[in-house]
Amino acid sequence: MKTRLGIMWLVVGIPLLWGAWNTLQNALKLFQ
Amino acid sequence: MSSSFLSRENTIAGPGFNRFLVPPAALAVHLCIGQAYAFSTFNLPLTRLIGLTESAPGDWNLKDVGWIFSIAIVFLGLSSAVFGRWVERVGPRKSMFVSALCFGGGFLVSAVGIQLHALWLLYLGYGVLGGCGLGIAYISPVSTLIKWFPDRPGMATGMAIMGFGGGALIAAPLSVLLMKHFATATSKGVLETFVTMGVIYFMFMMIGVVTVRVPAPGWRPSGWVPSEHPKALVTTANVSAAVAWRTPQFWLLWMVLCMNVTAGIGVLGQASPMIQEMFPGRVTAITAASFVGLMSLFNMLGRFFWASTSDFIGRRNTYMVYFVLGILMYSLVPYFGHIGSTALFVGAFCIIISMYGGGFSTIPAYLRDIFGTFQVGAIHGALLTAWSAAGVFGPVLVNYIRAYQIDHGVPKAQAYSITMYIMCALLLVGLICNIAMRAVNPKFHHQGAVSDAAPAGSKQS
Repeated sequence: MKTRLGIMWLVVGIPLLWGAWNTLQNALKLFQ
Repeated sequence: MSSSFLSRENTIAGPGFNRFLVPPAALAVHLCIGQAYAFSTFNLPLTRLIGLTESAPGDWNLKDVGWIFSIAIVFLGLSSAVFGRWVERVGPRKSMFVSALCFGGGFLVSAVGIQLHALWLLYLGYGVLGGCGLGIAYISPVSTLIKWFPDRPGMATGMAIMGFGGGALIAAPLSVLLMKHFATATSKGVLETFVTMGVIYFMFMMIGVVTVRVPAPGWRPSGWVPSEHPKALVTTANVSAAVAWRTPQFWLLWMVLCMNVTAGIGVLGQASPMIQEMFPGRVTAITAASFVGLMSLFNMLGRFFWASTSDFIGRRNTYMVYFVLGILMYSLVPYFGHIGSTALFVGAFCIIISMYGGGFSTIPAYLRDIFGTFQVGAIHGALLTAWSAAGVFGPVLVNYIRAYQIDHGVPKAQAYSITMYIMCALLLVGLICNIAMRAVNPKFHHQGAVSDAAPAGSKQS
């Protein structure tokens, strides 16, 4: 059950972090 | 897929089921439908399907393409209100499955519309069908999460609804990547992108469909005992969806949500031109796009942060913070523009937008406090009509006031000041409604059996 839990959080977490990272990188242009 | 697999009875969790599997299941659905916030990435390409580099005769214009998103948001509100009780009856798995069919199918119908160059098919596909998918998917996991997390309802719904904010962060770069990948000398690659996204989103939503479970009747988290002295606004009774809308509490909450969303959505839609016009020569279109992205990030983070905070300080107090801090921030924005501080301006809007997102994610737990868990999903669906109203009212308010001032000779850099003060007034109305909130009169309480209130529970963790 714990493995399944980890996999589920990775499945939703990776795309979310990818999107957040992309956004943050672009946002840095505001302060350059 | 057999109907028995989708039925509520076959979704009841067995012993040992870990309740922390339910938030990622809900997130899988909400991350997909959050794509709606990034639909504008398709606006320009859809106006250049024939001309490719610029609009040619026969190409759709931006105004007509803009209706696709508006129709989707209207149908989001309508479908969540109309199908709320159906979602409660059939359970989260079947409703998530139907929403995946609608949302994924909406992309495919729209792709046919692009192929035939028939804009009405995009209105029907992404707008009507996709919009219904948005509405059903939005409310599907909410009451399930509240039942799994009676100890932390704000955190649980905040996690799911955070996905709706976060979906745009994924969809915007994904759409651009896919269009770039599929573009050829004779095509913008929009058709192929729609088909791919329809399939990807359907499959991703199916992860949520397969994973989601409802707790066994009477289940409680191990070691959790409901307080014997609940807070003044936290009821132990239940109000049915059919009765809830007749209570003043429903309409006070409707106003609370509507005012909070109107104030946020108005500036969210105008963020890019607003920062460019308030800081002329200092903020370009590219850096303005970064500002919009940053606001999306805070929109997402606010949904989790504020809803989780509401578990500790209470729902009414959380909305007090939204309104009082919102009024303070909006009233300071013209000053930050006047002194030319981009950092303070951006900071103020990040706080404002975090509270806009927080308003969405805190409302399900607020409804549960006031009306109980019995049909909270259906009541939530009905309340989302406030979102549809705000979606029309907010941008119209901001656009028309700005246009009126510019037409009367106000410099562009100062044209937003009055808008900000009107936003303060809207938040003040919301604050008054929130202060007026009281417990529901017992005459409205549901007297019959409540399906989830049954004997002692199993031992899920």
